Amino acid sequence: MNPATLARVQFAFTVSFHIIFPTMSIGLAMFLAVIEGLWLETRDALYLEIYRFWLSIFAMGFGVGVVTGIVLSFEFGLGFAKFAQLAGPAIGPLIALEVLTSFFLEAGFLGIMLFGMHRVGPKLHFFATCMVALGTLLSASWILSANSWMQTPDGVAVRNGRLIVVNWWHVLNNPSWLVRLPHMLSAAYLTASFLVAGVGAWYLLCGKHLAFAKKSVALGTAFASVLIAGQVFIGDILYSTMLKHQPSKMQAAEGFWEKESASPAPYYWVILPDQKEQRNRFALGIPYLGSIWLTHSLHGRVEGLKNTPGDAQPIMGMVFYGFRIMYGIAILMFAVATSSLWLRWKRRLFTTKWFLRFLVAMTPSGIIATLGGWYVAETGRQPWVIFGLLRTIDAVSPVPAKTLLATLIAFVCIYAFFMAAFLFFVAHIIRRGPVLALPQAEASGSLKNAFRPHVLDSANANAAVGR
Amino acid sequence: MDMPLLCAGFAALSVTLYVLLDGFDLGVGALLLLQPHERSRDHMVDSITPTWDGNETWLIMTGVTLLAAFPIAYGILMPALYIPIIMMLLALGLRGVSFEFRAQMKRYRRRWDVIFAIGSIAAACMQGLILGALLEGISVEGSSFSGTVFDCFRPFSVLCALCVLEGYVVLGSCWLEYKTSALLHGFSVQALRIALPLFLLTFGFAVGTAFSVQPGIVAVWKAHPLLLGTVSCTVLIAALILFGSIGKRPDVRPLAAGMVMIAAGIAGLAIIVFPMVVPFRLSIWSASSSRLSQIFVLTGAIVVTPVVLGYSFFAYWVFRGKTPEKGWDG
Repeated sequence: MNPATLARVQFAFTVSFHIIFPTMSIGLAMFLAVIEGLWLETRDALYLEIYRFWLSIFAMGFGVGVVTGIVLSFEFGLGFAKFAQLAGPAIGPLIALEVLTSFFLEAGFLGIMLFGMHRVGPKLHFFATCMVALGTLLSASWILSANSWMQTPDGVAVRNGRLIVVNWWHVLNNPSWLVRLPHMLSAAYLTASFLVAGVGAWYLLCGKHLAFAKKSVALGTAFASVLIAGQVFIGDILYSTMLKHQPSKMQAAEGFWEKESASPAPYYWVILPDQKEQRNRFALGIPYLGSIWLTHSLHGRVEGLKNTPGDAQPIMGMVFYGFRIMYGIAILMFAVATSSLWLRWKRRLFTTKWFLRFLVAMTPSGIIATLGGWYVAETGRQPWVIFGLLRTIDAVSPVPAKTLLATLIAFVCIYAFFMAAFLFFVAHIIRRGPVLALPQAEASGSLKNAFRPHVLDSANANAAVGR
Repeated sequence: MDMPLLCAGFAALSVTLYVLLDGFDLGVGALLLLQPHERSRDHMVDSITPTWDGNETWLIMTGVTLLAAFPIAYGILMPALYIPIIMMLLALGLRGVSFEFRAQMKRYRRRWDVIFAIGSIAAACMQGLILGALLEGISVEGSSFSGTVFDCFRPFSVLCALCVLEGYVVLGSCWLEYKTSALLHGFSVQALRIALPLFLLTFGFAVGTAFSVQPGIVAVWKAHPLLLGTVSCTVLIAALILFGSIGKRPDVRPLAAGMVMIAAGIAGLAIIVFPMVVPFRLSIWSASSSRLSQIFVLTGAIVVTPVVLGYSFFAYWVFRGKTPEKGWDG
């Protein structure tokens, strides 16, 4: 294999692996903040139990996310030196600001969130949780801005082969950022909702930890119902934004080759594209649906990939299937949402076996859909690394193929080990179940407390509240 | 204003903070290998658990500042240092997950500790290797790296790797003496007594070798004898104070002396390398990003860094004093 392919496979592998964990942490951080807020409000120990259960999974996922994220900040230059040199002036500052405003925020308060309950008291602890959630949100904003700039570059000029920033606001608020950001955020929040609901449903099916399970299913499906409704709208706006700025991506995503599809257009679910011949060897779809969904009319025609010159086309198969995975799962999520509303109304939310099994199956759905979505975004941008400005093939570092292959194998082995350990751990936590909330220090949680010369230790704290 | 200079200053600040803070973290990790008792190992790890994440973030900050402010240099250095950087990242990765996994999976704790220690040692060594390769010189043609990826594995770099590892172990032992209770007192004192002389010996040897592998360093010494002489004296005096304070009260003194010693060493390196960003090849002005980009980064840095330092300090403050022997969860 040539160095360009290997560098791309390596980046694709490490970034795909990485995004799983931030997706979970962004979602779970917000979930934990909501749960801790509810606990402070109601003082219902059940919320604390839920908090502690997800906190350990969050911590583990966050850890893996951090260490795989460090890799990415160097990988721009490791595999794609020319990209770093050209794009550095535009995306470098965005990532630098991400590190400054969110990594440090998360890191600074994560320690308190994980280990500081006895030391700072509940209110300040809640503040720490909120800061971590805010950190994940800010982090997503900066990264989406940088990535959106690669999709829809703006605010720059190229002089003597170097990129000059002419307008910061346009770099930051480039045409796709403000649509892609809420899309990614609600994807992350949906991910967390389905994780929570799935685990709760599993316990209900096993007949264990019933109070915890019911609360989890109720909260998870409620969040999911609200979020998926919003996501459908955001997705639709994003679709038309990308159609305007990156038509080649959306042409590839729908699976049509000819400049205009037949009328009425079907909505394809399975295709066997032949990039060289510029046609589908096989295509299976639902008639009329393409016209209805994509053109909002009964007989509208859909644009095909031949509208884009051959040397600027993305590979159709990857974009198409990335999109189908995301979209298919979104439809399933919508089904969960509507049935949960119906069952809630009928008061059968916790007793309907098929629905609970469905929820268990949907546990990782958010993660898979997010991965699918990112495959649409990133493979659909090809052959460009900065859309319209720099081709991926011209960005590759002068590193020999053998070295790239060796490090790729190292990444695959070590990341597989991370994943195995993570899954093993999560399975262990789920099997063990929620532990009864330990009695907490009922300290006031003011700053005064945190700065007191003799910090509380848990034994004293427990004695102090007489438990 | 001279934006490239200010950006270089910020990059230097973050790399210094990284070495000082993650230095002791990595040192504690390396020392795990020498500690046979599980309870003591738990105590050692507990002492760094709440704050390691923030410490390591300074490494990302350094890399990203390079990308933003000196993209040309970043694009040369990353491919040139490809192998040690990837190995360092993987080692830091293994070490990072060990924090979580060792805490959660008691049954396999011993194995995670070995991974933890090896990850720490490998990361430290790779950082030393990178330093050595930078000092010995990187082949540059135009704005691209023109050597091979194996250039960085040379005897001098290996010497630097050893030196950095020992320096981190010194910092780690100082940290343990400061943060841990009587349980580990003897261990940290003994580690310091062995690691400090070893470090000084290797350091001296590395400095001597540096003159012969890099003529640029000789030139800098001739240009600033007084400045570099002062820095060397600071290193030595700090080392002496450190040696004299081992095992005595106040227990924060070894750590302070150790930090001064390492910081002075970094200052010396900065004087030698300045004003190059790819040492002896490319200056900070010719590797610079567009002016507006540097202004953006610096504005952010000036506004946010004090806040970051503030709550980083707060995090240390919350977990101040001796680390409880039974861990943070009680």
